[in-house]
Amino acid sequence: MRKYNGNLQKFETRREKDLLGHLITTSLKYKVWIAFLLLIIAFGMFGYYRQIKYGLIVTAMRDYTSWGIYISNFVFFVAISLVGSLFSSILKLNKNEWARPLTRVSEIIAVAAIICAAVIIIVDMGRPDRFFYVIKYLRIQSPIIWDVIIISTYLVISFLLLFISVLPDLALCRDRLIEIPKWKKRLYRITAINWNNDPKQMAMLKKVSTILAISVLPVAFAIHTITSWLFATTWRPGWDSTNLGPYFVSGAFMAGAAVIIVAMYFMRTELKLKAYITESHFDKMGKLLVLLSLVYLYFNINEYLGPAFKMVGVEGEHITELFVGKYAPMYWFVQLGGLILPIILLTFKNLRKPIPIAIISIFVILGAWFKRFLIVIPSLQHPYLPIQGVDESYLHYNPTWEEWAITLSSFAWLLLIITVLIKLFPIIPVQKAENISKKAVEKILQQ
Amino acid sequence: MILGKKLHIAILNIIFIVGLFLINNPNIYGQETMEDATLSVDFSEEDGRKTVIATAVDQFGVPIEELDLYFYVKRTFSLLPIGDIFNSTDENGVVEVQFPDDLPGDTEGNIILVVKIIESDLYNDLSLEITKNWGIPAQIDQAEEKRSLWAAAANAPITLVIAVSGMILVIWFIIFYIIFVLFKISKITPIKT
Repeated sequence: MRKYNGNLQKFETRREKDLLGHLITTSLKYKVWIAFLLLIIAFGMFGYYRQIKYGLIVTAMRDYTSWGIYISNFVFFVAISLVGSLFSSILKLNKNEWARPLTRVSEIIAVAAIICAAVIIIVDMGRPDRFFYVIKYLRIQSPIIWDVIIISTYLVISFLLLFISVLPDLALCRDRLIEIPKWKKRLYRITAINWNNDPKQMAMLKKVSTILAISVLPVAFAIHTITSWLFATTWRPGWDSTNLGPYFVSGAFMAGAAVIIVAMYFMRTELKLKAYITESHFDKMGKLLVLLSLVYLYFNINEYLGPAFKMVGVEGEHITELFVGKYAPMYWFVQLGGLILPIILLTFKNLRKPIPIAIISIFVILGAWFKRFLIVIPSLQHPYLPIQGVDESYLHYNPTWEEWAITLSSFAWLLLIITVLIKLFPIIPVQKAENISKKAVEKILQQ
Repeated sequence: MILGKKLHIAILNIIFIVGLFLINNPNIYGQETMEDATLSVDFSEEDGRKTVIATAVDQFGVPIEELDLYFYVKRTFSLLPIGDIFNSTDENGVVEVQFPDDLPGDTEGNIILVVKIIESDLYNDLSLEITKNWGIPAQIDQAEEKRSLWAAAANAPITLVIAVSGMILVIWFIIFYIIFVLFKISKITPIKT
């Protein structure tokens, strides 16, 4: 096998060298990282093999807790995927120029997260071979069908967002990168779809990019609102709430922003992009995270205050279990460690520096994951009809090793997809193709 | 000696075979061969009293006396017994059973009456099914048929179908438009200078 060490590769500018360099060389660290992820995936696959062989009985899910960590993980992945729209739509349409270098990584994370979300749903099925029955026996009245439709739509839109953003740079890779394997050359040639920096091409790309930026927003809101409706349309304590849609969406933006900060930290250190992802980016992302966390805090107060004030029946039992019962340690870790403390800490400028903010963001992400656990599982253990005459194991939910293995491997998949995409495509836009004025676009398109 | 022994065994074998034949012959024990009976059912309605009249005859048309018949009405999951516990035929081979007034039928009031001969000593088992409109016509709740959130897929509320399809059409139209523009982008060739 031919070795590529980057000696023959010449770049025209420093920017190209910095941003395309990592596409040519592969460090040992990268290989070890990939091997580590593959190991976790293999472990998860073994767990899944056992689940396929013996059925869902290998999980701790039973009649009452019929949605376990697979579904909380699914909600988490859907939440993470919303970050693509935060950058490609909200920040872009509001002309936040500073966020532009972060757009592509947000789109890569969105694509990876939505793929994992779609797959984890199939993992949750006892009979995955019957997946297509969902389409065959489609009932438009079912929120699950709305979810299937919106996830597939958002998956396509996420791919388009990433593709449109990366297209000029794919052409650049096709034209500039010499010292790369043949398959990579072919990949760039095919995916660059004959892009040649033609003004007309630029104008057309700019136009579709704007259309997509506008249309992704309602889809992104819909995807997580519908995910929340899976719960809100089911009559269980903790889910029977009109607040659930915005509560989920705001939580998703917060978790997504935290994921971006952690990704920024690793990109900056591992890909040596200090000149492109600056401390100012971390500072701004810190402020954005505080804003998004405050919105989420507001919806959290709304979500818990009403039922906690009334303490009615099963709803009261559910709240008691969260506040002072067996889920209290997790609940307070999520609310304090994953929400309130990050808000307070990130108001200090020094804590918005790369290392502290990355650590705080990891807590926000952990909080976000366990929050989804708290949304899904305790509610299921408090049905409105009393639980009578069932096996003792039905009353608790302690995920089995197979569930943890599969969940861990889903994270490994997420990281693997992100790592591979980062290795294939420039993570920060090299060409500034989008910096073309609106007037120029209209003029070119009229020609 | 050897010949005598063989003869002895042969005689024993013959006795054994004849014995088997005799054991299996019902005539020897006074058992008759099971016969097929024929059932006919009539319905009579006088002064609002509904009666099922069943007649049993043997293969020669001779009425069968003291034959137990079992009467049922077919329900969704099982057979509902009607009449007395035992309903035996009289000397004319006839048995009468009163039919209840309060049994629901299908939408037209039809019920399926089942008359059976079960485990008789002399006659083979028999089951006869007759449809009769003696039931109370069932009122099917039309709500289940109406368009609603809980109806079958084909009866989804029309507003929901329009809303969901509309949204899907709009967003997928945009997606296909973008793919079309990307296709157009791929067809633009650089201007040769």
